[in-house]
Amino acid sequence: MSVDEAVRRPLLARDGDEELLGARLVARRKPGQWISAVLVLLVVAGIVKSLVTNPRYHWDVVGAFFLRPSILDGLVLTLWLTAAVLVSSYLLGIVLAVMRLSANPVLSSVSAVYIWFFRSVPPLLQLLFWFQMASLYPQISLGIPFLKPFVTIETAHLFSGLLAAFVGLTFDMAAFAAEIIRGGLVSVEAGQTEAAKALGLSKARIFWRIVLPQAMPAIIPASGNLLIGLLKGTSIVSVIAVQDLLYSVQLIYAQNYLVIPLLLVATIWYLILVTILSTIQFFVERHYARGKGARSGFWQLWRGQLPLVPRSRPRRDLEVLR
Amino acid sequence: MSEPLVRVRGLSKRFGHHTVLDGIDLDVARGSVAVVLGPSGSGKSTLLRTVNHLEKPDAGFVEVNGEIIGYRRDGTRLRELSDRAITRQRSRIGMVFQQFNLFPHKTALENVLEGQLAAGVRRGPAEARGRELLDRVGLADKERSYPRQMSGGQQQRVAIARALAVEPELMLFDEPTSALDPEMVGEVLGVMKDLARTGMTMIVVTHEIGFAREVADQVVFLDEGRLVEAGTPDAVLTEPTHERARAFLSAVL
Repeated sequence: MSVDEAVRRPLLARDGDEELLGARLVARRKPGQWISAVLVLLVVAGIVKSLVTNPRYHWDVVGAFFLRPSILDGLVLTLWLTAAVLVSSYLLGIVLAVMRLSANPVLSSVSAVYIWFFRSVPPLLQLLFWFQMASLYPQISLGIPFLKPFVTIETAHLFSGLLAAFVGLTFDMAAFAAEIIRGGLVSVEAGQTEAAKALGLSKARIFWRIVLPQAMPAIIPASGNLLIGLLKGTSIVSVIAVQDLLYSVQLIYAQNYLVIPLLLVATIWYLILVTILSTIQFFVERHYARGKGARSGFWQLWRGQLPLVPRSRPRRDLEVLR
Repeated sequence: MSEPLVRVRGLSKRFGHHTVLDGIDLDVARGSVAVVLGPSGSGKSTLLRTVNHLEKPDAGFVEVNGEIIGYRRDGTRLRELSDRAITRQRSRIGMVFQQFNLFPHKTALENVLEGQLAAGVRRGPAEARGRELLDRVGLADKERSYPRQMSGGQQQRVAIARALAVEPELMLFDEPTSALDPEMVGEVLGVMKDLARTGMTMIVVTHEIGFAREVADQVVFLDEGRLVEAGTPDAVLTEPTHERARAFLSAVL
C-alpha cells in the first residue's frame, strides 16, 4: 500500500454513527455539590439570623458611635502610623535585602543577623522595650564610638508612645519586608542583569529599571499580606496607650460598658480599611503584570472573590478540588 | 591587513580547577566577521563574555580599539577599572545572547531605548533611532509588543536592534540561533548577514556552518579552551588540520 492510498483509505463506518454525531452531550450530575451547598447555606442563615435578632449586639449603639470624632481621630492615627511604618520599613527593607545579597560578607552577615533578631522578637515585646528605652539608655549620643559625641539627646524626651510604636513596628516590618524583597530579587534571571550590563547600564540603573520592576510581581502579593497584617498589627499600640482605632474604642467602653457594640465599631472600620487595601493591591498587581499577557479586569477580580457568579475561565489545574 | 579592532592575547580563565580558556590569541580586523566554532564546553561563550568583561580573565588581556577592556595599565600591573569606566567600555560593544534576554516588562521599542537613555540620549531622538532600527530588522509593526507576545525569531531580532541602538563598534553574538525553532533561524541569520554587509565588526559563536562559510572572513576553532585552528572559512571548514576539528566538522556537516 502506497502512502497515497493509505491516506485516502476508506474509514470504517458503523450503524448509528449519524445519531452519535447529532447527540447532545450531558454533563454528569453532582448531587453532593447541592447537598453541601444547602448545608453551608443553613449555617450561614443561622449566623445572619442571630446577628439580626440578638438584641445584645446593640446595632443602634454601633450606629451612634460609628462616626464619633474620637473614634475617627483614632482611625486617622491608625492610618498614619500604618503608612509611615510601611514607607520607612520598605526603605529599610530594600537596603537590608541588597545588603543580604551583597558579595561583601560583612554587609551580608549584618543583614542576616538583623533579620534573624527582629523576626524572632515579638513586636509587642519590642514595643514595650522601646517604650522603656529611657531606663536602658538615659541619653543617646550621635558620634563615632570612643570619641566625643556630636549630639546628645535625653531619651525620656525622645521616646513617646507613638515614636516607640513607629520604631518598633518599623524594625519588625523591615525584617519581613527584606526577606520578601530578597525573594523577589533572586527570582529575576541572571541573564537580565547581564543583558543590561552589556548595554552599558550602570549598577544603580540596572537595579531600579531592570531588576526591581521584574521583582515586583513576586514582591507585591506577599507585601499586600504584610501590609494588611501591619494595619491590624498597629492595634497592639493600645497597650502603650497610643490612641489608635482600638484604643479609642476601649476608652469609650471603659466608661459606658457597651463593650460588644464598640468592638463591632472597630471591627467594621478594620473591615472597610482592609477592603480598600485589597482593592489597591489589585490595581498595583495589575500595573506590574505588564508584558505578562493575560490581564484580568476589575470585575473579573470581584467575580473571582464571589464564586456564586461563575468565573469566565475555570481553573483546570484545580479541577481535582471540585 | 589594517590594525585589528580586537586583539586577544594570552587569554586564560579558570572556573575552580577547570581551565575554560587556555592562552587564547586572536585578532579581528575592523569590519570583518570572525566565527568561533567548537564543541560545547570548549570555552566559546566564555571567550565572548570576556571580551566585554562579563567574565574577568585570570591572565592575558582583551584590547578593543586600542583600549584594554576592564583594566588600565599601571607599570607592571593591570588594575581593574571602576564600574563606571567598564560601563562606558561596554556601551561600545553590543552583545546578543542565546536566550535573547529581552526585558520582559518593556515593549520592543522600550527595550531598544534602554541603552540609549542610559547613555544620555534624549527620548525624542532615541525613539526615532529605535523605530529606524526596528524597521531595519523588519519589525516596525511590533514596537508596542511585549517580548512574550513575539516569536523567538522576532525577539532575537529585537535583541539585535537593542544592541545596535548604542552604536557599537563591535558586535558579539553568543549562539544567537541555538534557542530558535528551525524555521526562525533564517530570519535571524538574514539580519546578521545584512549587518555584516554594512561593515560591522562581529564575533559570532555559532553552530551554523553555512553562515560561517558564507559570511565569515575568519573561522577559529576552540577545543578544551585552546584555539586549535584559525584561518579562512575554506581552509578551516574544508581542510581542518587538527584532529578534533576534523571530527567535529564531519559530525555537524
